[in-house]
Order: sequence, then C-alpha cells, then structure tokens
Amino acid sequence: MMNKLIDFFLSLKLTVVLLVLSMILVFAGTLAQVDQGIWTVMDQYFRCLIARIDLHVFFPRSMDIPDVWIPFPGGFLIGWLLVINLITVHWANFRIQVGGGRKIAGILFLLLGVLVTVGVMFGWGTASVAATESDAFWRVFLRLGRGTLAAGVFYIACLLLFRKRAGMVLLHGGILFLLIGEFATALYAVEASMTIKEGETVNYIDHSQQLELSFTDTSNPEVDTVTVVPGDALKDGALIKPDGLPFDIKINHYMINSNNPKPLQGIPEPLRNRYPKYEGYGSRLYVAEQPEASGATGTRNAPAVDVELFNRATGDSLGRYILSLWFYPNFVNRSWDMPTTFNVDGKDYTAYFRFRREYLTSPGGNPYSIKLLDFVHEKYEGTQMPKDFASQILLVNEGDDVNRELRIWMNNPLRYARRTFYQSGYLPDDSGTVLQVVRNDSWMIPYLSCMIVFVGMAAQFIQSLGRYLRKP
Amino acid sequence: MKRSIITNIIVVLFAVWFFQSGAKPPKEAETDFQLNAFAHLPVKLEGRKKPIDTFARNLLTVLSDKQSVRVDGEGVSAVKWLLDNISGRPEAMDYKVFRIENLDVLSSLGLEERKRFRYSYRELLPALNTLDGAARSAYGKEDRQRDLYDKQVMKVANKIYLFQNVMASFEDPSSIPQEQLMATAQRYMRLENYSIPLVIPPNSGNPRWRPLMSTLLASHPAMNTVIEGHDISVDPLAVHMGVMLAAYRTGNADLFNNELMEYGAVLQADNPAVFDKLAFEVFYNRLGAFMKSATLYLLVFILSLFGWLLRKEGLIGAARALMVCAFIPHTFAIIARCFLSGYPPVTNLYSSAIFIGWAAVAAGIVIELVFRKKAAGMGNLVGGIAGFATLLIAHFLAGDGDTMEQMRAVLDTRFWLATHVITISFGYMATFVAGTIGVFYIFGGLFTRRLDEETSENLYRMMYGTTCFALLLSFVGTVLGGLWADDSWGRFWGWDPKENGALLIVIWNAIMLHARYGMMVKNRGFAVMAVAGNIVTAWSWFGVNQLGVGLHSYGFTQSASFWLLVFVLVQFTVVLIGLVPTRLWKSSSL
Repeated sequence: MMNKLIDFFLSLKLTVVLLVLSMILVFAGTLAQVDQGIWTVMDQYFRCLIARIDLHVFFPRSMDIPDVWIPFPGGFLIGWLLVINLITVHWANFRIQVGGGRKIAGILFLLLGVLVTVGVMFGWGTASVAATESDAFWRVFLRLGRGTLAAGVFYIACLLLFRKRAGMVLLHGGILFLLIGEFATALYAVEASMTIKEGETVNYIDHSQQLELSFTDTSNPEVDTVTVVPGDALKDGALIKPDGLPFDIKINHYMINSNNPKPLQGIPEPLRNRYPKYEGYGSRLYVAEQPEASGATGTRNAPAVDVELFNRATGDSLGRYILSLWFYPNFVNRSWDMPTTFNVDGKDYTAYFRFRREYLTSPGGNPYSIKLLDFVHEKYEGTQMPKDFASQILLVNEGDDVNRELRIWMNNPLRYARRTFYQSGYLPDDSGTVLQVVRNDSWMIPYLSCMIVFVGMAAQFIQSLGRYLRKP
Repeated sequence: MKRSIITNIIVVLFAVWFFQSGAKPPKEAETDFQLNAFAHLPVKLEGRKKPIDTFARNLLTVLSDKQSVRVDGEGVSAVKWLLDNISGRPEAMDYKVFRIENLDVLSSLGLEERKRFRYSYRELLPALNTLDGAARSAYGKEDRQRDLYDKQVMKVANKIYLFQNVMASFEDPSSIPQEQLMATAQRYMRLENYSIPLVIPPNSGNPRWRPLMSTLLASHPAMNTVIEGHDISVDPLAVHMGVMLAAYRTGNADLFNNELMEYGAVLQADNPAVFDKLAFEVFYNRLGAFMKSATLYLLVFILSLFGWLLRKEGLIGAARALMVCAFIPHTFAIIARCFLSGYPPVTNLYSSAIFIGWAAVAAGIVIELVFRKKAAGMGNLVGGIAGFATLLIAHFLAGDGDTMEQMRAVLDTRFWLATHVITISFGYMATFVAGTIGVFYIFGGLFTRRLDEETSENLYRMMYGTTCFALLLSFVGTVLGGLWADDSWGRFWGWDPKENGALLIVIWNAIMLHARYGMMVKNRGFAVMAVAGNIVTAWSWFGVNQLGVGLHSYGFTQSASFWLLVFVLVQFTVVLIGLVPTRLWKSSSL
C-alpha cells in the first residue's frame, strides 16, 4: 500500500498530469476575469483545494451557456501534490552519492547558503529607510545580485553533493522555495492604504478589508479619547457594551453594501414611508442595503450599519443612527467628511463607520508619521496621458531619530519599518495622494528563488549543450 | 569554395541595392516647393516630438492603412498629401484616403462598395451628419451592447474626427471678424483638450509647444477686445508658418520656400535643440527597413526550403548570406527606434513583433552556427519564416498611429522594460522557434522522404535545445515581471491575464521537458508538443490582450482576434496531422 503510494508520487507522469491540470486551471481562471473581479477569481480558482470552473468562461459571452460549474482540483491542491511529487522524486533519484570530506564541505556550504538567504530576506545590506534617490535600477540589480550570491553558494553545495545533477537539484529547490514564498504571502501579507492631503500629517493606515465602528470623545480640548468596536462584533441584533463609553450600542442591521447617500426628498413616497426614523445624517439622507458588488463593475462594497444607542445609566434611547462607509472621508477620496455627532451626559461624541485603523509604529515600538509636502501629477505635453505621479513626503519618527524628506513615485516605493509604501492613487484636483501600504515579510523570496532557479537551470542546460557540442 | 564567395558577393550587392532603393529623397528643383525641407520641421503629438514626415505618414496610415496616396496611378507622398490638406487646397478634398470596409456602414452612408474601400472627404461630406448621429448612439451604449455595426461606425467616425481636428488645428484665424472671435477662441480651447499636432515649438516668446491656430489667434489684432488685458503677442514662427501655408494654397513656390527658410532660421537661432534627431527620423522613415527585411526573409525561406528538400548546399549557403544581409538593417532599425524614442526596444505590441522577429532570425543564425552541417539550412528556414511572419504582423499592427508612443506612468521604467520585457520576448521567440521546427518535422516526415533517422534526431536536438532556452527565458522573464509588480504595488503575483499567459508558456515548456525525461514522448511526440507550444505562446502574446481586462490590456484589435483564431486553428490542425500514425508517413524510416 505504502509502496504503491510512493510509486504514484515517484512518477514523472504525475508531474506532467499535474502541470497539465494547472494549465487548464490557469487558463480558466484567466478567462473568468472577463466578468469577475480578481479577488473572486482568486478564491474560486487558485486559493482553494477544489476549484469551481464555470462552464460559460470557455465560450463567447454572447452565447447562452447554462449556468453550471465543474469541480476541478484547485490551486492549493495542485500545488501541494506537485510539492510532494517533487520531493519524492528528488528523495528517490537524487541521493547524495559522495562521502567523506566532500560531503562535509557540501553540507557546510549548504548551511552557509541558508545563512546568506536568511540574511538577505531580513534586510542584510539594506538601509532602514530605503527609497529611490537616483537611478532606480541599481536597487533592483543589487537585490538580484544578493540573490545570485545565495544561488552561487547553493550551487557550490549542490555541486559538491550531487555532482552532475547539481543544476537539476538546485533549480527544483528554487521552485520549491518560490512556492513556499507565495504560500506565505497568501497567508501573511497585509495590504492597506494611506490617504494624505497636501500639507497634512497622517500617522495611521486604513485596512481596507476590515471595518470598525469608532466613537471619539471630543469634549476634552487637550486629548481625544477613541473607542472602537471591531467589525466582527457588528451582528444583527447584538447589544454591545463597550468599556469607557456611557452608552450601549444595539445593532439593528448590518448591510454588506449600501448605496451612495441620496437626499431623502428625492426618494419616492412609498419608499420614504418605510424608511426608518434616523437621527443625524439618516434624517436627511437615504441609505439602504444594496446587493454585493461584483468585481466586474470595478466598484467596492460600502457596508453600512443601522444602530440604536441607549444611555447605559438610564436605559433611555439616544436615537437611531445609520452609519455608512460612505460617510468616511478616506473611502470617498476626501470628497467629503460626514462625522455623526451626538451628546451623551454633556460629552460630545463623533462616530464613524470606517476602515480598521492601525497607527504606524516602527519595530522598536516608536510611533511615526508621514507628511505630504507636495503631490505631482505630470502629463505628457498636449495629452491627458499621465507621465508621472509622485509624492514628496516627510517621514518623521522622533523615537528612532528619523526625519527625512523622501519621494515616492511610480515603481519607486519607500521601504521602512517592514512596510512598503507605494504610489497608488490621488485625490480629486491632485490635492493629495493615496499610498498603498503593504507588509509582506517574504517579499525577498521571489528575488532569491528567481536567481536560484536561473543559476540551476543555466548550469544544467549549458552542461548538456557542452556535452552535445563535444560529440563528433 | 570559390563559387560560394562569388555567390556571397552577389547576395550582398543585391541586398545593398535592395535596401537603398527609395531611401533617398526625391529630387526637387529649386523653384519647386521644398517639400523635403518641410518634412523635416518639428511637431509634437501624443507627447513626442517628431518630424512632420512621421506625423503625415502616421495620420495617413490611420486613415487609409498606407503611407502614401495613389492618384491616377501615381504615388503622392504623405507630406504632400498633408500639406495639400492643411493649406486648404480645394482639390485636397478629393484624395481617396478614408478606408471604410464595412458594407453596412457604407450603405448607411449612401456610398457604393468599391475596390480598396477608400473614399474621399468630398464623397463623405453629405453623409457626415448621418455618421455623427450613428457614432453618438454607438458611444452612448455600453461596450457589451455594441454590435459590429456600432464598432465599425465608431471606427470610421474616429477617423473623421481625427482628420477634422488636425485640419482645424492648422486653421488661420487672422481674417475672422471681431464678433466671431469669442466663439472661435472657445472652440480652439475645446480643441486643445484633444490630441492635436502642436506645431509651434517652444521659443524665446513662449516655453510651451502650441498648435498653430491658437498661436495665430493670440496675435489677432482684435483679440484684446475679446479678452480684457490680452497682450497681443505676435509669434514669428506662427506667422511664418501661416504665410507658408497660404503661399502653398495659392501655388506661390517662391514665397513658400522663402518663408520656410525664414521659419527654419528663426527656430535655429531660438531653439536649435528642437532639430535633434529629426533628420535621422526622416531617414529612418524613408529607409522602411522592416518591410524590406520582411521581403528578403521570405526569399530566404523559399530558397532554403528548396535547399533543404533537395539537399543543395549552395542554395542554403546563399540563403544564409541573404538572411544575414537582411538581419543587419533589421538590427539597425531596432537600434534607431530605441535612439529615437528613448525607450528600450519593446514597448508595445508593434515593437514586440519586430523584436521577436529579430530574435527569431538571430536564433536561426545561431542554430546554423551551432549545428553547422547538421542544421542543413533549418536555421534559415526558421529565421526566414519567423522573420517574415512577425514583420508582417508588425506591419498590420502599425495602423494605430505612432508606434513610438510615450509610456504611461506605471510602465515608464526603462529598467523593467529592458529586463522583464526583453527576457519574456526572448522566451516567446524561443518557444516559437521550437514550434516552427516542429512544423517542419511533421510536414517533412508526412509529405516528403526528407526526414531520415539522422535528420529526425538533429531536428529533435534543435527543438530540445531551444525548448530548454525557452523555459529558462520565459521563467526568468515571468519572475522579473512579478518583481516589477512587487516594486510597483507590492504584489509579486496577482493572477493578471498577461502574467497567467506567461505562466502558461513556462508550464508548457516544463511539461515538454518532463514528458521527455519520463520517456513519455519520443522525437515525433516532442515535435507535436512543440507545435502546441505555438498555440500557447500566440494566446499569451495576443490572446490575453483581446480579453480587454487586466493591467496589460493594451492594443485591442478586432482583426487581431480573427487572425489569432486562424493561427490557432492552423496550428491545431498541424498537431492533428502530426498524430497521424507513422506508417502513413512518407519518411518511413521512423
């Protein structure tokens, strides 16, 4: 039984079959993007064990194809089977066949390679604040160079241990490393964004995949006290009693998506009659639940929550409010700011339903902030075609003694404190910038594995080419 | 030995003669309009400075798919055509330059179908309102609701709008009465929102490129009655250009030439740097190296085909020499494009076709060198057909206007264009080369007796070697693309259609090698798989762009979809043919 299983995984036929299946999956996943958003496609095809391939993706959209789907091995399943297949084949066929000093030297080089790799991954040889100051390409060359260094050490190790098969082992090791890196990225990488107006200083990022309900006590002129309720807690019918607030929050209804608020007067009579009696913006604006946005239209979901507040001491209702993501300025690129304000026991509160906010801190725990000094949106003369987007920023971290003026522009991000800040968008009238902020500790793995595979493959092919040319 | 030297000399002489023909400007008498000098004047359009020669050729190509006009069997150069039009000569309206090939559109415009499908502006005039109405209704629809007629109407209307905008940007407003000035100024401001030729270069009076009509309007003597506090600025360049066009309209060659020289002298004194590269670009245009190389590559292919089938060393040698002769101007023209545009060689579909063709020919030469006698002309065959086919594809892709366009902000990084794009193009090329050898293997084996055991082994070796390189290059190219994405927005892999297309090529090459290592296929099976690689590569190169989604969705064209489908079906047929049992093959030794 066990032997049969091993034989199954030992076969190159399995490799070929799995690779063919992955081609079909990738092909279908590409065609599906014509009418589905990339995130939906990713979950449905690639980041799953069993994929659901919709039949209609293979046909022109004008044809009337029944709405059926075919179960198919998903990206994770194929990936894992390939990894097992690869390891089994190598374990069986590429045994270390050397001994003595050569073996020891090989293992030492292997360890050295691991050391170099780990060092490169965690920032050996890079500045703590890394932004492009002059020519961009040196930065990438240097990274690839570090990758080549690691690859070179590994190649020597493989040469010592596997002789003629060194390239083969190395290149497959590189592929394995690449797959592991992508798996880690899928699990751990976090994408957020940062919106800054010109002249403004911002010290937090918006996690656009997560939401929270925030209440700010603004009665103290010295400090604001913020209390947040995480989005997970906002279940229909829940009664939330946050510490530090003198009131309870009852969740009437959580809406996955809501409309862009419209004036209530413009709404047809019957709809308006059924519309709840809200306080705040809801008394003047119409906000209602909408079907979930599909990726194809390029729109985002704008959740909203219908809440009622109760004074905790007296149990009296403080009013029913609708809090929509549409009211949050960073969701609408600062087109407007609509804070919901109310007063409880003589204290003023401001409420938002907003993206989960995370305040920026360096690994040492010191807070830092970014000020946008200038935003540049250049166009080619006589056209509307963008030539350049650039944010001139001031990065300040008093605790770590960082105070630097830097430029973030297309293809030239800032890397600082394990986060990378990319130029991503801009506010209306070029009045500010939107930065994409990514935290991904495995981001160097593709650089490393690219060079490892390259060195392994090149060595292998050159070896066989040489053998062929030497033949008469 | 001696014979081959003589052949080579003849081939080289022939190639030199072939390439120089048409590269020299036509002779002009001193009393004629100095069109050649006019063609060298600078203009800025779509963000790039170029000579009027390029502008005229591109505009004509967009309208009529050709770089010159035929009138009564005589060729009229693009510059003369442009000058006739912008100067407002009445007979310019009779040039048949608007290509409309859709019969429904023609009948709705009240036009008769005709050979070559080209119509003059005068013929279109009565139908312009109808066309405008149809185009507006088509634009009002969502893309999915538009049918073929809508798309064709939009295509034709875009040509007309483009033409009208260009004409309007060369208007001379100096005789406009005062009461119409305001309306004219507003019209010009609207026009400036479109991409129109900016023909007045920066000079000491103004640091920006400007279109002629607005510059002339600013010097209109009554402008200060329209805009309060307007400073009537007389731009000498605009005045010279205006007089030049008027002189051309009235047929006054002396005045035209005089004004042209004055214009050149003023500009030379004021902003000499503006003339940089212009003369070289005009030369590049006139040389037309790509189409000439394509013709020679076809010849190379035909010669080598006979040489290969009949085992004639002499023919193969001559073809090899011819291939090298065509390769040199091809290389030169690619370098010239880099110099002119300031970008690495591949920036759009057009340049990718040119580059992949170049790389395929280079690979053909390498195959000839590495395999020497064993190649038996296979390198010529592959280089010839691949060079010809890709340059022909490039020719048809050139119809969108300037092929040296400026890059959008996110793509504007010479580093990644020079590494990722070049490597991935080499990967495409190598897969195509292996696939082409595969086609020769199948046809040679099935229909001729040429494929003996030795040839079969040699062809397999070539395919195997190329596939190894294809895998190496497409893998590295794909990963570099991911690294670019990581550097641009922090996502190494985003399952974008073009990324996926590149990944499919990598996987397919890996499948081929593993199938071979696992003894699942022999020589013939490997050839069949290589042909299938053509399908994968073609889809990745052109197919994903047709989906119209993703970051790489540039260059959508309807006819490209059609030809892609044809190509895929042909290659699929070859695959099926390759699966015919070997006992039916003519080369029975297998």
